[in-house]
Amino acid sequence: MKKIPGSFRDPSASVFTFENRIIRKINKSGNEKIRLFISSKILEESVKKKYLIDTWVLEDENLKKKFNSDFLLEHKKIPFISYPYEWNFEQLKDAALHHLDFNIFLIEKNFQLSDATAFNIQFIENKPIFIDAMSIEKYEEGSNWNGHNQFCQQFLNPLILDSRKRVSYNNWYKGNIDGISNIDTCKILNVFQKLNPTIFFNVVLPAYFENKNRNKNLNDLKLLNDNKKNLNKRSYLWMLKNLRKFISKISKSKETTFWRNYDVDNTYSAEQFEIKKKIVTEFIKKNKPKNLCDLGCNTGEYSEISINNGSNHVVGFDYDQGALTKSYLRSKEKNLNFLPLYLDANNPSSNIGWNQTERFGFLERCNFDAMIALAFEHHLAIAKNIPLQSLIEWFVSIAPKGLIEFVPKEDETVKIMLKFRKDIFPNYTEESFRDILLKRTNIIKIHEIDNTQRKIYEYEKIS
Amino acid sequence: MKKALLFVFVYFLFVSSDAYAYLDPGTGSIIIQAILGAVAAFFTSIAIYWEKVKNFFKKISKKNKDNKNL
Repeated sequence: MKKIPGSFRDPSASVFTFENRIIRKINKSGNEKIRLFISSKILEESVKKKYLIDTWVLEDENLKKKFNSDFLLEHKKIPFISYPYEWNFEQLKDAALHHLDFNIFLIEKNFQLSDATAFNIQFIENKPIFIDAMSIEKYEEGSNWNGHNQFCQQFLNPLILDSRKRVSYNNWYKGNIDGISNIDTCKILNVFQKLNPTIFFNVVLPAYFENKNRNKNLNDLKLLNDNKKNLNKRSYLWMLKNLRKFISKISKSKETTFWRNYDVDNTYSAEQFEIKKKIVTEFIKKNKPKNLCDLGCNTGEYSEISINNGSNHVVGFDYDQGALTKSYLRSKEKNLNFLPLYLDANNPSSNIGWNQTERFGFLERCNFDAMIALAFEHHLAIAKNIPLQSLIEWFVSIAPKGLIEFVPKEDETVKIMLKFRKDIFPNYTEESFRDILLKRTNIIKIHEIDNTQRKIYEYEKIS
Repeated sequence: MKKALLFVFVYFLFVSSDAYAYLDPGTGSIIIQAILGAVAAFFTSIAIYWEKVKNFFKKISKKNKDNKNL
């Protein structure tokens, strides 16, 4: 039994992993809420509508004793935990719409979401799902939408900045776990952008009042003391539906990113692509990995091939937003068990949040049976000066077996990379790559790619 | 002194814990919702008065009709 450190903020429950299961222990202060959930069947209805992750009440008395609790909930386990700063624009947009739709659904049943943290949404392949059942609470007529500010910071503002100003939010969000504030968003938008009614009402006005009343005590604000002016249900729903309409129409900035067209416009031929495809197919068919990691997944070509050949789940990583968007749309259109995520391998997601245990880093979440890293290694070894030894150790720590493509100095891409800089990589040779890999793994096979000097190494970690 | 410290500790332990501990609602956000509430209330009262005005004219026209029928 291990407590999941990220669940500490909720005094009414704590989440545990127990024998590969996810169990939510309800504390005494949450008992009343859970009784209400059971009598109203709100959890069942939310699950049925696919808003909430599969959740059920556990009746196992022994387990209750073990957890010292009157109520236990069990949740379906998520294949790979991801965070909003790893989602691309389309994913964050889908997550925002999911949150709003769920809250609208709940309010119509006289419940509501108590907050609006984006971390309460996870992706199962290409679909967002709400995971924190205890964030549901009774709706009292006249109550405010308490999650409004959080919704703006964690969903709306990053989307607005990307859409209106081409500001990529991922690294900013990673640095500030609360998202992007209204005040910061307003500093970037121009006058015309601020005049959009939804932006004006949800971002500009709150930022103005926040600035204006910074030094005032909330109790001194006359407007807030008048009980008759509470938000009624219709106005609450209007706020949610207005935001829903705005977000459903928002689109990513039109900027073309470098890698977006990589699958149609790259330095190797269709013939070489076919060879690589065959190598990946063979590897997947042989190993049948349940969870596969595709490093530098680009538009998701090889991820799709892997799924079609027997891999259950693929998580793809890339740092290019255009490629990630294409990947996500591929996953959605073809309904693949494929989750593409943003990762700057040079500075991967690390342990952040309270006590540095609230949100886990990339390596801490890796539970892959296998990985593929095609045309990836040289972007770290050459472009980022990562020593081969360190790089190979990192690859091997991700999964016990995999494919790594080695791109030598004689290759066109590496030649271009070295054209305007000093070659400070005397040890960057296939020989040293092989020697280092051999120290940590068994090399199962070295695949050649015709008409290039690139090679794909198949390794298996020495256990 | 010890008693005072104990009081402060107990106060925060019990009194501050029922606030929305994991949520910062944001002053601006609360204010715009209060404004929205006020605007909604304003339109609701207008609607009520409008209803009253409509009823008043309806009554008059009904009276007129009744008079004509007599």
